[in-house]
Amino acid sequence: MKENKRFLLLLGLVLAHLLLISIQVPRGDEPTYFERAIFSIFGPVEHGVVSFFRGLKSTWQDYFYLRDVQRQNQALRDEAFQLRQENLALRNLLLDFQGSREIQSLLATVSRSILVATVIGIDSGQVYKSIHLNKGAVDGVRKDMIVLDRMGRLVGRVVEPVSRGESRVQLISDVDSGVGVVTERFRVIGVLQGDAEGKCRLKYIVKTNKDVQADEEVLTSGLDGIYPSGIPVGRVVSIGEDGDLFKKIVVAPYFDLSDLDQVAVFTADLRDLS
Amino acid sequence: MKRIIEGIAGLALAVVLHTILGKVAAPLLVLFNAFSWVVLYFGLTRHDVFGALMGTACGLLQDSLSLGIFGVGGLTKTLLGFGAGYISRKINVAPAARTFVLVLVLASAELFLWKSLVLFLFGERFSAAGGLVFLQPLATSLVVSVAFQVFRRREARSS
Repeated sequence: MKENKRFLLLLGLVLAHLLLISIQVPRGDEPTYFERAIFSIFGPVEHGVVSFFRGLKSTWQDYFYLRDVQRQNQALRDEAFQLRQENLALRNLLLDFQGSREIQSLLATVSRSILVATVIGIDSGQVYKSIHLNKGAVDGVRKDMIVLDRMGRLVGRVVEPVSRGESRVQLISDVDSGVGVVTERFRVIGVLQGDAEGKCRLKYIVKTNKDVQADEEVLTSGLDGIYPSGIPVGRVVSIGEDGDLFKKIVVAPYFDLSDLDQVAVFTADLRDLS
Repeated sequence: MKRIIEGIAGLALAVVLHTILGKVAAPLLVLFNAFSWVVLYFGLTRHDVFGALMGTACGLLQDSLSLGIFGVGGLTKTLLGFGAGYISRKINVAPAARTFVLVLVLASAELFLWKSLVLFLFGERFSAAGGLVFLQPLATSLVVSVAFQVFRRREARSS
């Protein structure tokens, strides 16, 4: 190919990209059809790779590496026993407050709406922005469903694109994420936003407010219209001032990205249940 | 036809490497960018036109697996692939040290351009991941230099 044609091809590609970027300004919530199509094609590749390695791992762990399995089984049996007792006690306690039929149906709905999903990928542009799950539209996953880690702590919410068998979750540590939160002790209301480094900022707390303390737990407030109230989010790690009207409060989210193998997607709107 | 199959295999390899790295440890994704490896490798071995096309494909693929502006990665990786291919056609990049320096400069330029576009055009905060991101060009040049030397030895043996 001649030199001029090479540069013309480069120019064409650059212009095509600039056009693609410019049609997304101002930033919309919806991904382009092209982006959806690529996600639908390569989402299953991620899914396949993770399934392959999980298969290898489980073959190794199930048939060869059986050291300490007996001890782990006993520990899990003990934990299951303890959780069953706790579950029973809490159910009985709930029955004291609400009618039996009402509570049974509520518990059945909650139990039905938990969808366990495996994390198959992490955001390729910025690690603390989003994750990909191995459950998609056919499993009932829809936009704005909330996602919790295995300890029931907030991870994020489902965002577009959701393909047939895979979906994307915006983490609470993303800079574009906003979660309505409240502090545990004095119920100070604020908005939690990611800082792109794996931590979050509790925003809009004025400097004169002395009620937020270090090491205090932060819970969802339910005021954002997406997340139900009372879900543990993280803990205040530092409180400072940045010369602004508001305080600079850093919150460490509870979820740990390196320990995030399985998550729970709530397919029912928990706000309707509470 | 052979080139197309090579290109598709390169794309699939980038996704596989990216997925494995993410499963091993999430911070590794800040240090190792498998999409850049593939683009630079094809740029150096198949030159500018194929490098630019692989840059477009890998960049858009990276964008589609990320919750950001679709097209920024595509743009920077197109320039990266074209740059690597164009320079490798103009000067002899066969010596290992020369490959290393060239890839280091190109990977640093691509990272700078990508972060600048995201920062200035869309006002997104720059994420340095505790400074780990600044080591990404170094890791990229190490991996690509080794891969390029392996390619050259295989070529020399087969000819």
